[in-house]
Amino acid sequence: MSDRMLTMAEAIREAMSIAFDERPEVFLLGEDVGIYGGAFGVSGDMYHRYGAERVLDTPIAELGIVGAAVGAALSGMRPIVEIQFSDFTAQAMDQIANQAAKIHFMLGGALHVPMVLRTPQGSGTGAAAQHSQNLEPWFASVPGLKVVVPSNPADAKGLLLSSIDDPNPVIFLEHKLLYKIPGREPVPEGSERIPLGVSKVVREGKDLTIVATGIMVNKAWEVCEKLSTEGISITLIDPRTISPLDMQPVYESVDKTGRLLVVQEGPAQAGFINEVIAQMAGSASFGSLIAPIKRLAGMNIPIPYAPQLEKAAVPQIEDIEIAAREIVKNWR
Amino acid sequence: MSFKYPVVMPKMSMTMETGELINFHVKVGDHVKSGDILFEVMTDKIDMEVDAPADGVIESLVAEPGAIIEIGKPVLIMLTETEVMAFDFGSEEGETSQVIEKKPVEPVEVTIAQPTPAIVLNEKVKAVPKARTEAMARGIDIRTIAPTGPDNTITMHDLGNARVDPVISARQKANRALVAKAIENSRSIAQASFSRKVNSEFDIAMLIKAWAKTLRSRPDLAIHTNIGVALIIESKYGSALPVFKDPDQLSHEDLTSLIARTSESAIDGKVPLAMLTGATTTIFDLRAYSMNSATPLLFPNQITSLTIGDIGNLEKNISLTIDLNFCDFYDGAMLLDALIASLTK
Repeated sequence: MSDRMLTMAEAIREAMSIAFDERPEVFLLGEDVGIYGGAFGVSGDMYHRYGAERVLDTPIAELGIVGAAVGAALSGMRPIVEIQFSDFTAQAMDQIANQAAKIHFMLGGALHVPMVLRTPQGSGTGAAAQHSQNLEPWFASVPGLKVVVPSNPADAKGLLLSSIDDPNPVIFLEHKLLYKIPGREPVPEGSERIPLGVSKVVREGKDLTIVATGIMVNKAWEVCEKLSTEGISITLIDPRTISPLDMQPVYESVDKTGRLLVVQEGPAQAGFINEVIAQMAGSASFGSLIAPIKRLAGMNIPIPYAPQLEKAAVPQIEDIEIAAREIVKNWR
Repeated sequence: MSFKYPVVMPKMSMTMETGELINFHVKVGDHVKSGDILFEVMTDKIDMEVDAPADGVIESLVAEPGAIIEIGKPVLIMLTETEVMAFDFGSEEGETSQVIEKKPVEPVEVTIAQPTPAIVLNEKVKAVPKARTEAMARGIDIRTIAPTGPDNTITMHDLGNARVDPVISARQKANRALVAKAIENSRSIAQASFSRKVNSEFDIAMLIKAWAKTLRSRPDLAIHTNIGVALIIESKYGSALPVFKDPDQLSHEDLTSLIARTSESAIDGKVPLAMLTGATTTIFDLRAYSMNSATPLLFPNQITSLTIGDIGNLEKNISLTIDLNFCDFYDGAMLLDALIASLTK
């Protein structure tokens, strides 16, 4: 067992490098991914290791970048696209939603689009409303796309390798605050995959189930640690892949705890986490609930520029702590 | 065989005397299931939906929406073959059973004493899902639980605090209140009690037959043409009083098996509708409890009541209470003497 503590940026670079080594048809394209090493330093030295033919710097033209990747994928390549900020995927949405997601179906299954679109998302960098969104519900609501939201370096590595293997388009959403943080767990050497569509039970407890995605898994972890000293034990579940969504561990956990708190950074309205609530409400485990389901999510506002307001606009550790404590104390 | 069963204006509060019929949820000819809503009534204090007490068919709607109806007066008549849970402690006329069973009634003239205990519960309560499923599994009516959770919601904690079985206890409470009220009404009656030890073996069927025969031998004391012997049976909802009609005309075997069948279903709180009314006398057999005496009580519209105690050594104690408005002291002594004579024969 390796005890390497990597950051998520390093883990993703490692996964891409493994895929580059395994398959000659894998290549990376995007704005500044080459010589500059990526806006967040994710591709790093890959340009120098693999050359300009496999690490392609592109013009500032998202629609063109994704269109080129879809075409390459249809021609037998396995492109990894990096869009510099997930907010910019809006430019490329026709290629993503109408081409990449649909071609396999429009052609009766004759062709596949084995493409991965990696892109950083989330707030906390003082980059304001057009560079801070969490857009996972856009993608999760398009059938034909798989959507991965890793919360730590080890998962990011294994999930990205599976995403590159996948014969269909995968949207890989990386929270930019996680890039520089080492995970709690070491990143294994080697090329082991983590299958898509399998939720991870991060820790187990008996009083409350928290379902969180992306960076919220880390924040919720802190709360689990703190409340465990007060005698409140919490099960923390990270779906990791939000489409397809694996609810089984959530049902099994709620059957034990009877209480569910769901947390995401993106706005509450029409957010992905509502899907978790909806499926829970329609499941046999509904009858296990001993408390109303509690939702913590971002406010329904564009992310503000002012740092205090930016912080206030999305759930923080204290918010999760208060919500968790209240739900356990009030509902017995 | 189906029975006509009048569904009456329920008594929903201590002070309620009449209620207004708001509307019907059924029409003539509708098949209803036990628990289906039949109609809605309103008083100055509360609105309530009245449920079908048993499966059946709506025979007629007696009242008009908007009508003010006295409690105990019929609102609609249904035909049912089902045994329903209900208690009756004597009716105004004492002949109600006949009306229900045989006469093609003018529905408005049907009178029946409170057919079901009046339990007033909120129709809708807030509860966490688990509390509902758990309550259902435990046979608890969730509406009987006091909420302490946020927004008056019933939590698992509240369910944990619920007494043994709140449904039973609520029905028990209502049932108890009816028994108490019936006894309270007859407490002011001038009455006398007699008792004697007997040293002979007799089962409950023999006792019921002998007592019916004894009463029939004194038509001068009868205020009812038929004889209906109510037997006090402890059910899980409290005292049940199934009535055995003219039991002296049944064979010992038939009566024994009828008593056995009735007791069995009465313990579950189910008594056939036809056996709920028409009592003219009551027997309380204490032998099963190894008690030797209890205060024999008169129920309204009954002029006699018997209590059988077990005093050991094969000896029994038989007590008779009489209503002095209808019997002399001498009559009481003679009735008890005649009963014992017939039992020891």
